[in-house]
Amino acid sequence: MAISTAGTNARREAIRAMLATRAGSADDASALAQASVDTWRQVTFQLAPVIGVGGVEVLFNRAIHQTSAVFPWLATAVEDGGGDALLSTLEARFEGQETTTVGEASATVLLNFAELLATLIGESLTDRLLGPVWAPVTPASEREIP
Amino acid sequence: MMSKKVAIRRLPTGVPGLDAILGGGLPEFSFNLIVGAPGSGKTTLAHQLMFALATSERPALFFTVLGEPPLKMLRYQQQFLFFDSHKVNQSLRYFNLSDDVSAGNFDQVLARITQEVEASSPGLVFVDSFRSVMLEAQQQPQGTLGLQQFIQKLGIHLSSWQATTFLIGEYTSDDHPHPVFTVADGVLSLEQSVYRNSMVRKIQIVKMRGQATPPGMHTFRISNAGIEVFPAALVRDDPGATLSAAQSRPARPRLTMGVPVLDDMLGGGLPSGYSILVAGPSGSGKTILATAFLAEGVRLGEPGIIVAFEQTPSQSRTRTIDNMVRAGHIGLINTRSLDLSIDEIVQRLIDLIHQKKATRVVIDSLSGFELAVAPSFRDDFRESLFRMVAVLAGLGVTVLMTSELEDRYTDLRFSPYGSAFLTDAIIVERYIEIESRLKRVIAVVKVRGSAHSDELRQFEITDDGIVIGKPVRDYEGLLGGHPAQTEAPGKVA
Repeated sequence: MAISTAGTNARREAIRAMLATRAGSADDASALAQASVDTWRQVTFQLAPVIGVGGVEVLFNRAIHQTSAVFPWLATAVEDGGGDALLSTLEARFEGQETTTVGEASATVLLNFAELLATLIGESLTDRLLGPVWAPVTPASEREIP
Repeated sequence: MMSKKVAIRRLPTGVPGLDAILGGGLPEFSFNLIVGAPGSGKTTLAHQLMFALATSERPALFFTVLGEPPLKMLRYQQQFLFFDSHKVNQSLRYFNLSDDVSAGNFDQVLARITQEVEASSPGLVFVDSFRSVMLEAQQQPQGTLGLQQFIQKLGIHLSSWQATTFLIGEYTSDDHPHPVFTVADGVLSLEQSVYRNSMVRKIQIVKMRGQATPPGMHTFRISNAGIEVFPAALVRDDPGATLSAAQSRPARPRLTMGVPVLDDMLGGGLPSGYSILVAGPSGSGKTILATAFLAEGVRLGEPGIIVAFEQTPSQSRTRTIDNMVRAGHIGLINTRSLDLSIDEIVQRLIDLIHQKKATRVVIDSLSGFELAVAPSFRDDFRESLFRMVAVLAGLGVTVLMTSELEDRYTDLRFSPYGSAFLTDAIIVERYIEIESRLKRVIAVVKVRGSAHSDELRQFEITDDGIVIGKPVRDYEGLLGGHPAQTEAPGKVA
């Protein structure tokens, strides 16, 4: 699915770094889970105006479906509805998982989402739309999250 | 004295040809409708306008209502060269309203649009698209804003913002013009028609307040560069005045034709800026004459252009013309597509004339030209030819057109289009039978405003081109196909 390995790796690193910064610590599973959910809110905030909330949800579900091939415990999240329901289900799924697993799974869902978007609307536009989500690494407290 | 009238700024649209048919650009702060059936190019036109017009000082908001899913729209629109993803979220922003629309509450949709516009004060607003909204309106709860009112209100809102605004929608029948048409300052109507085997796209400026727009339909084409309009208006550039000016100008310089003797027959060469028709049956040497005309131009440093329509270019033309084209001495427009509009050819020709600074143009042949234009244009072929000749005359180029002429011996014609009157000069080539041999003859039928030869001369086509021989004496009735030898030389009147 990856378009370019170099680009994918760079994006994965950017996502990991962003999640760690938001969580404040890479060793705290619940902080990571929270960071992940916050990131999704921001992704929705960035993308919904452009592709609609429906558009974001469809891609999000698809990304989770893809990721569940590696992390099967994610699969049920898809069945439990969309929007905020999906996010709380996701958060619930993260509970009880190993810290590294939470970090890895979060990053992979985001990565798959970005790659999926890129195959549809191109790398350049994807970076333009999602770049603000993970490019400037600012602490969570300073971010504006609706 | 100071004028107290409001000055309307006209924004250049960045769509080739569109400003001309808008009457000089898009009026700033106008409210425009872009209407047309699905697939007619509305969204593409809107995007092209947006990417051309949006700047950081004049940002754009693009509301997607329903219509095309935004993901698909972005996917396909970015295939066009004008799509600059760096402008997204910088000088232009997308805003999807499908969630509000699917809730069925138009008050809310209107409120969202208003809210967004007030928040960001865009210079350009696009709302795409309203026909889909109309369909959505079927299950409309009582007492809320109905679709008709919604559109109408949106139109009024769009008019009142200090922004140039666009409502994009489907509009399929003339029967029920939507009330919003009254509110709109401009209506751009796009259509695509399929006739026989060709597809033709047309745009019409149904309405554009405050400025004169050239009437009629204009063809356009969508390529990976986006939309290009071929204004029929350019062609209508007051041909009457152009022609009479051309006629009244005395003693214009004359061009040599590149065929010995022919210049003498024309009364000293072809007056520059004239159009000349070379008519003759198949194989009589029209293309060779045209080639000589261009080669002579090249020799004298007068660049030329050939517009070729032949499906299988003849060997001799290909060689000589190819060499000149390859050397960059002449421009070539060779088209085999069968869905052209004449305006498109004219536009390409004008561009190439400017680019090459050409003074000689050859159109070889009118028969091929007629075949190349889309069938739906053939009815107007003569009229379009007339306009084309007028435009070329306005540019001051000298035009040589060839025309296939069926060899009839019962009547004398110079072209199947009745186009003979269009041109300033006519040369006719014919076959005659003398002593059981097929001979070619050439004659100058007319050169407007000039004395010219009235001789019927034999000519031959040799490796060096056309060699014109002696006048055909001692015969009469040649053109009627029944030549008869007159009794003795010298007795002929």
